[in-house]
Amino acid sequence: MLGHWDTGGLSDQWGLHMGELDGRVAVISGGTRGIGRAIGEAFLRDGASVVINGRSAEKGARAIEEIRADGSIGDRVHFVQGDSSVREDCDRLIDETVATYGRIDILVNNAGGSENNAPVAELTDEAMAGALNLNLWSTFWCSRKALGHMIPQQWGRIINISSLEGKVGKPGLAIYVTAKHAVNGLTKSMAHEVGSIGITVNALCPGAIETDMMKEGGTKAAESMGMTYEALLTWFAQESAIKRLNEVEDVALVASLLASDAGAGITGSLISIDGGSAPY
Amino acid sequence: MGKLEGKVAAITGGTRSIGRGVAEAFLAEGASVVVNGRDPAKGQQAVDEMGGGDRVAFYAGDAAKQATCEGIVDFAVERFGKLDIILLNSGGVLNTAPVSMMSDEEWQLEIDWNLNHVFWGMRRALQHMLPRDAGRILVTSSVEGKLAKPGLPGYNATKHAVNGLVKSASKEVGTTGITVNCILPGLIETDIVRNTGPQSAEMMGLPSYDAMIDLFAQESAIKKCNTVEQVAAVAVMLASDAARNITGCMFPVDGGTMPY
Repeated sequence: MLGHWDTGGLSDQWGLHMGELDGRVAVISGGTRGIGRAIGEAFLRDGASVVINGRSAEKGARAIEEIRADGSIGDRVHFVQGDSSVREDCDRLIDETVATYGRIDILVNNAGGSENNAPVAELTDEAMAGALNLNLWSTFWCSRKALGHMIPQQWGRIINISSLEGKVGKPGLAIYVTAKHAVNGLTKSMAHEVGSIGITVNALCPGAIETDMMKEGGTKAAESMGMTYEALLTWFAQESAIKRLNEVEDVALVASLLASDAGAGITGSLISIDGGSAPY
Repeated sequence: MGKLEGKVAAITGGTRSIGRGVAEAFLAEGASVVVNGRDPAKGQQAVDEMGGGDRVAFYAGDAAKQATCEGIVDFAVERFGKLDIILLNSGGVLNTAPVSMMSDEEWQLEIDWNLNHVFWGMRRALQHMLPRDAGRILVTSSVEGKLAKPGLPGYNATKHAVNGLVKSASKEVGTTGITVNCILPGLIETDIVRNTGPQSAEMMGLPSYDAMIDLFAQESAIKKCNTVEQVAAVAVMLASDAARNITGCMFPVDGGTMPY
């Protein structure tokens, strides 16, 4: 009964299927650490070739070295330097992926975040524009470019790393909440555009995870919310059913499923990975 | 090494369709599995076909009855020594109708089959899982747990209700090692849909069974029905140890049908 997945022609091309993602090519905006890194490592375990990305060439080189310490990876991982809030860099990320591995099957729009959070009454235009560039425009730019490759091959997976804050709102985080809500809207619209041609588009909505980025930016975000960093973490944990934060592996687990052939029936979904926080 | 090595799972329904697909996937991942159905002959046949050897067993009973929903839990514990995973999966409609024409009998059946069954099985499962501080409770809900169609009032009401039940239970046991989640598939052309579909289509005011299939497919983004295998993959993931931080989730397998 099992085993009749739609393989998009890859099994013919690559022969025996070992990992769920053998022969697939994935690109992850961001991806040198945090959620993107965990997804990248999960995809590599499942057999894919993976391009990760980040602003710092030095951090990228270090990430590649760490990932390759697992001797089985070899050339299946590649780093492309670039700033996801810049269109040229997003376009180049997709171009270099195809140039390196010959195709693109899976795009994870993972780069995101917000700086200079403030209550709306005090919010600067620059802060809003920055959050929209990094979360929304980057998702749009990378997706538009990647779809140019996915549509002709009639197979693709776009996974947008949204947030619990893409479904609900918190005071003092308006730029992040607004950008992630917009990403969810873009996700649904894209899903319907390409749904009948073998391409799925989904958003993952994790609860708060104490990544490096959270540790670095969390204190200022908490300040904008009128509380300490510890109180912010407690708030996120307490609004969940599990009363603790999520972990990057939680997101990677679902990303792997969506990227696989078995994920063909899941699209346009805003999947909560939040320990039971979101009301819907 | 399977993702469910050494786990014990019980599935209401499970001799065919979604439950069967999940049972086979669980077996393939190393779990022992109890499947259920009303007909012992069909049950034995399913067990033989699945080829899980000692790792698969059948428990006969009607999932719309309390004794069955509690009995399958006790049976799994007795047979395999514990219960790690339960998929409360059985459900459907027999003689649905618009509200104005709905019989008390059909209404009660749908309440018992789709909702009470989930409550009875979940309560019993929790009684075994809570002392062990570990467990995975999965419920086969439906896109109709968020949407609504004319002619399916009982199905819509009960699937909405199980979604609420799952959210509430997930919060009750959230800090234990137990997760409680729903899977919300779009329409899958299972045996039961083929059997009851023509009558359902009529009650939905549609000209034919094919028109009903088409309605469900066209409201999705993928413009086709979902498959059992797609649901099974999600069930395996949610049942695995790795999914410990995913709970209270209405996990969609609907090809982009639901608006939220």
